Amino acid sequence: MVAIIDPTARHQVGASAAAAEAPRPTSLDGLRIGLLENTKRNADRILAAIGEELAARNDVGSLVHLTKSVFAMPLPVDLVEELINECDVVVVGVGDCGSCSASAVADGIALERMGIPTAVICTESFVAPSEAMAGLKGAPDFPFLRTAHPISNLSDAGIDERGRSLVAAVEARLLGDRVPALAS
Amino acid sequence: MTGSVEAHETDERMDQRIETLDPDAARAVIEHLHAKGWTDGLPAVAATEESVELFLAESDRDPDDIVGRHPQLEREVTVRDVAVNAVMAGCLPEHLPLVLAAWDALSSERAALGGGWQSTSGPGPLLIVNGAIRERLGLASAGGALGPGFRVNSSVPRALGLTVRNGFGVRPGELEQATIGVPGRWNLCLGENEEESPWEPLSVELGHAPGDDVVSATLVRGFELVDNRSFSSAEDVLGDLVDTVQRSGALIGPHSPTGLLLNPEHARLFASAGMSKQDVREWITSRAGRTERDLAAVGKGLNGRGDREFEPDHFHRTIAGSSVAQFPIVVAGSSNAAMSLVFRVLGAWSGRGFPVR
Repeated sequence: MVAIIDPTARHQVGASAAAAEAPRPTSLDGLRIGLLENTKRNADRILAAIGEELAARNDVGSLVHLTKSVFAMPLPVDLVEELINECDVVVVGVGDCGSCSASAVADGIALERMGIPTAVICTESFVAPSEAMAGLKGAPDFPFLRTAHPISNLSDAGIDERGRSLVAAVEARLLGDRVPALAS
Repeated sequence: MTGSVEAHETDERMDQRIETLDPDAARAVIEHLHAKGWTDGLPAVAATEESVELFLAESDRDPDDIVGRHPQLEREVTVRDVAVNAVMAGCLPEHLPLVLAAWDALSSERAALGGGWQSTSGPGPLLIVNGAIRERLGLASAGGALGPGFRVNSSVPRALGLTVRNGFGVRPGELEQATIGVPGRWNLCLGENEEESPWEPLSVELGHAPGDDVVSATLVRGFELVDNRSFSSAEDVLGDLVDTVQRSGALIGPHSPTGLLLNPEHARLFASAGMSKQDVREWITSRAGRTERDLAAVGKGLNGRGDREFEPDHFHRTIAGSSVAQFPIVVAGSSNAAMSLVFRVLGAWSGRGFPVR
């Protein structure tokens, strides 16, 4: 009997499950809130709107706007250092394409493992690759927040509305509370 | 490279042996590969230690050398992994060096490293092959070269697709998110028709010696035909090419990286008008474009999307520049009808060719 080679054998010995949950703060008061946008159209504006809503609801320390310019690659070392040094919690998004949704989840998992609480946002159309990446990184149940697709053609009012609709869930995720159901 | 003699039997020997083989068992093996999720929707060949060793014997590379990486997935593929998928794709052992060189090429493409395999565009790697290897492997570069119908043209790029699927684990509906997909995604491989081209081949433009075996690869989102047999001048055809290149459909930013598979009849027309390949490149790239007004009319205006504001008459070039990397021109196909193909590139091509070794 001649054995058939399993062409997938190599990547089945990959990541074993490991915790991907940083310790949570008890409140956002005084904290530096990182807003890590990934250059997808309107991602910066939605994160900015979320930041403003967070600031209106909490006595946050500051809003730190950062950009991941190569959205499908791992976080570059200098950006990781910036996040560690300048942010206490980070909102990541928006996963609105095949590779950047998976990548947003991978970044969130990596930051959690470095001790930084995150709230990762992906659109509903990209739940499958987001979940696939979470499993691949050894955190199959990693919670990411879902929002309606698409975001690229939202009006100014639509962007503000999206920020408002997400803020409670982002807050809950950053604080480790139960995430409320999202209005989409 | 004597492997082809050892690797596949002579017709006569195969005719004798086929009587003793069980075609129903072969079908059952193929069904098993489908059931395991190891193939791409078409029948594949089961890889075994013996068949993989035959393939590896065709390359001097260490089987454990890494030839492909996916940084975000933290996955790598080795020479051996590529050989397994080349067997499965229906390659012959002597095709392996070309498959490996294609991986060398893809490993230098930012689009392929940075999520291209997961892209909603569903881009396929387009392989352009130059040199004597075309004749040695029977790789088509003239009539119907883009397929189907030629084993090496079909199976070499399919080996890339199976490696992405099986080696990186990028599968449709999971990490792979193609919106509609690209026809022939994993079958885009052809030789340049150097014999009928009036110009130096792509490999020479990229700095390789004439006759060297070289492969180039770029990720392609789609093709569009330019059927122009009724021309009376070079300007007729150039104008038709410009009209196709400047279409707005593929635009997702200010520019739409593009390339051209140029029919030998069109190439000779331009050469007879005294144009070099670079002349053609500059003619097309300097004229192809749309005004801000035109783009705004289809929802793709650039105003409001960056720091710069443009007048309605501002002319946006479709292609950012006129280097070989920004607008590759490859002479391909047969001289039986003057049809060329415009193709759209995902991201930016590196503009590099890789030796087949």
